[in-house]
Amino acid sequence: MNIRLDNLTVNFDDRFQLDEINWQLDDSQHWVITGANGAGKSALAAILAGAGESVAGSITGLPAKVGLVSFEAQAELIERERKKDDADIMDVIAEGTPVHEILHEGSRNPALIQQLVSMFKLEPLLERAFRKLSTGESRKVMLIRALASEPELLVLDEPFDGLDAHTLEMLQQYLHGLVETVPMVLVLNRFDEFPDFITHIAYVDQARLQHQIDCNDQQAYNDLYQLLHLKTTDLQVPAADPDTAIPKLDPTQPLVQLNKINITYDGQRIIDSLDWTIQPNQHWQLSGPNGSGKTGLLSLITGDHPQCYVNDIFVFGFQRGNGESIWQIKQFIGYVSTALQWEYKVGTGLRNVIISGFYDSIGLYTKATDRQKKIADEWLALLGMTDRADTPFNKLSYGDQRLLLIARAMVKHPPLLILDEPCLGLDDMNRQLVLALIEKICAGSETSVLYVNHHAEDKINGIDNYLTLEKRESNNH
Amino acid sequence: MSNNYFNTLPLREQLEQLGKCRFMSIEEFSDGVEALKGKKMVVIGCGAQGLAQGMNLRDSGCDVSYALREAAIAEKRQSWKNATENGFVVGTYEELIPTADVVLNLTPDKQHTPVVNAVMPLMKEGACLSYSHGFNIVEEGMKIREDLTVIMVAPKCPGSEVRNEYVRGFGVPTLIAVHEDNDPKGEGLALAKAYAAGTGGHKAGVLMSSFIAEVKSDLMGEQTILCGMLQTGSLLCFDKMVEEGIDPGYASKLIQYGWETVTEALKYGGVTNMLDRLSNPAKIKAFDLSEELKQIMRPLYNKHQDDIIDGTFSRTMMEDWANDDKNLLGWRAETAETAFEKTPAGDVEISEQEYFDNGILMVAMVKAGVELAFETMTAAGIIADSAYYESLHETPLIANTIARKKLYEMNATISDTAEYGCYLYNHACLPLLADFMKDIKTDVIGKGLELDDTGVDNARLIEVNAALRAHPVEAIGSVLRGHMADMKKIV
Repeated sequence: MNIRLDNLTVNFDDRFQLDEINWQLDDSQHWVITGANGAGKSALAAILAGAGESVAGSITGLPAKVGLVSFEAQAELIERERKKDDADIMDVIAEGTPVHEILHEGSRNPALIQQLVSMFKLEPLLERAFRKLSTGESRKVMLIRALASEPELLVLDEPFDGLDAHTLEMLQQYLHGLVETVPMVLVLNRFDEFPDFITHIAYVDQARLQHQIDCNDQQAYNDLYQLLHLKTTDLQVPAADPDTAIPKLDPTQPLVQLNKINITYDGQRIIDSLDWTIQPNQHWQLSGPNGSGKTGLLSLITGDHPQCYVNDIFVFGFQRGNGESIWQIKQFIGYVSTALQWEYKVGTGLRNVIISGFYDSIGLYTKATDRQKKIADEWLALLGMTDRADTPFNKLSYGDQRLLLIARAMVKHPPLLILDEPCLGLDDMNRQLVLALIEKICAGSETSVLYVNHHAEDKINGIDNYLTLEKRESNNH
Repeated sequence: MSNNYFNTLPLREQLEQLGKCRFMSIEEFSDGVEALKGKKMVVIGCGAQGLAQGMNLRDSGCDVSYALREAAIAEKRQSWKNATENGFVVGTYEELIPTADVVLNLTPDKQHTPVVNAVMPLMKEGACLSYSHGFNIVEEGMKIREDLTVIMVAPKCPGSEVRNEYVRGFGVPTLIAVHEDNDPKGEGLALAKAYAAGTGGHKAGVLMSSFIAEVKSDLMGEQTILCGMLQTGSLLCFDKMVEEGIDPGYASKLIQYGWETVTEALKYGGVTNMLDRLSNPAKIKAFDLSEELKQIMRPLYNKHQDDIIDGTFSRTMMEDWANDDKNLLGWRAETAETAFEKTPAGDVEISEQEYFDNGILMVAMVKAGVELAFETMTAAGIIADSAYYESLHETPLIANTIARKKLYEMNATISDTAEYGCYLYNHACLPLLADFMKDIKTDVIGKGLELDDTGVDNARLIEVNAALRAHPVEAIGSVLRGHMADMKKIV
């Protein structure tokens, strides 16, 4: 394999354009593509899998079989499954394609699929509809699909995000085993995740391939690290909006009290008889492997999970199921998660996305006040997006969307801020920014933070309560 | 045999009921779900629509449970699974109906008579029975116990959208009505409004209508422009293209996705915008074709509307129901055998604009169908707002089902009443347009005009543009789309 990009300019649906790329990759190399959010990392990787429309220059030597894993590819598959859902025209609830079919789509090697399924411990999910998987679980399916296709080139865009520690280690080992046979290109945001077999780094900035660094060149490597690093000392969190004040809560009552909670899917119990109390001003970290029920547990609190009506749940002064509406609950919560990001498919401008946090809506259906607009603008300035206030949200890169949704969750200074793996898809610089923001909020007195994360190194100062969920074996009632 | 309720009314009242339709302002919903607080709501039917509405109402603070037939519970059927997995109380009719303050009948039309007959004796004194379609009351003449309040709340979108829009913090346009013969306590409107607010509908716009206006306009729309015209048009256009030597794969794709593409333009900017997507010569061509089509098809539209108004349509259909759907199922099977249905869409790239350029006849058919349906409905006394929703507004929704699974699936998945109406329309319209189709060539379907010179006569273009914009469906359309846009996109 010898891929050659000469002065290549590639257009992506008129949304984005990568300019004048000069790049050569051969069999003996393993690359990392890195850079800031929105710089064009994913786009550069996707070119290798044939995406985009070449408008100038040339690209030669692309192998026929490229295994690609990315959020975009995952989202596309989810969208495909969603389109297949005939629920609206058939008036029946459709389940969608089961995992085993999804896995066999691109591979002629059932033995390899079986081996990978077993490594990723996916056996219990083979019959489940792909659409019904958790974020981490569907990521694993994408990885197995790519690996099982026996590719000549493996392109993995943020492959480690959203994986629990065990799976992460297993995957890294597996990739090590491929070093001699399959050239790899990884898009990674985090320096500490670069595997040691990486030979070269491509640094992307402003839609151009700015630097190419040989990993043996220590000086160049250090310079790049500095370039990506942001000092986040003097950080001001924009104020809340006094006109949309959240009702005062009784400070002697817990924010959340869950008593003997159960969550069951298809007769399988995911959460079994769990007690959990969150007091005002307590900060919590929630962890556990993929599929251990973290997201389900959180959605019981937010009211998004229908089984919140069959559990003993007390939130913000309401015993659930007594005539309260979900909007009365949601007003106390700021929330960000990967699932929310998938749901948040709107073409409205960035300022409005932040303002929608005041109303807990996806999109904005209420006229914003001048003060709300001003607060939103302060957030945009903090994120360095002032010049894009009216850019449609769905034209942003994945990481920039994530940043916006974090601001949306924080904008009303909620009594409870739920951050479900907030740093997924963020580059080093923005990760530092978000972590610093969370620490600021923890240090204040108005918000309790509930933080979900796999990465042990993303420790947050101020969080001192921990809940760890274990994955339950199937059919364990 | 049942008694047609509409036919029992004096003319004065028939006209009054047909003319009911008012776009409500959001201030009228400031009490939210208050009228339903402390009341027990029991849903019958747990398909996508039943489940979505129940979940929304519960999330708005209402007390919702599901009554299913004993067999559905014992055999753990899909409806039972839908309800229990989502944490609802499920019970038999006998267990739940006697406790209900409001019973929501969300079963298909065809089941209404047996369902209502089973439920009514179990309902408590003074409770409320709610429908999402008025066929049972208006066409089948179902008599409801005098002490019961009867209302209708009909979200104008499929179940999945009813749920998704609510979760986003919005809703879908909804039609409400009170059956005036059954409003003993005068609380029907308050209950219907609270129910609409509980599903989020008030945020997207609510039309206050009557059972009669809903049924007579809904039937007319679905059997003519919505399903009938698209079905007939698909078959005629496909056969013509193949006859003229166009690649069948291309023809199949142009039609399957063409309706969706051209009606998307209709949805955003009415008939005017749909035709504005064409070049000037193509626009004039489409206009002329549609004028011709309207002239040929007008008697057919009149007949459909007349049969709907006087009850002939529903009587014929119910006779077929009683005869195990012989006519309908036979025709459904025939549809599956048509050349269009059996030719898969080819693997060719068709750009968005090309669907317009090469589908001039399809654009003309949509225009003719929308305008005729609208004109016929309003001539029959249905108010313009209703006529707009039941013709132009819903055409893109049906076009979308064709894009997914072509005609056979469209017919299998739309309501029984719509499919039966489509069957009647198609049978009459195919021969009606036979002569017209003889003169059709690929310049208006399949290849486009392919002109070197796209010049047109100024006077003629001005005439066509003025005629397009002056049609009454455009006037009411721009008002109603304006309401919707205000609500949906304040942003």
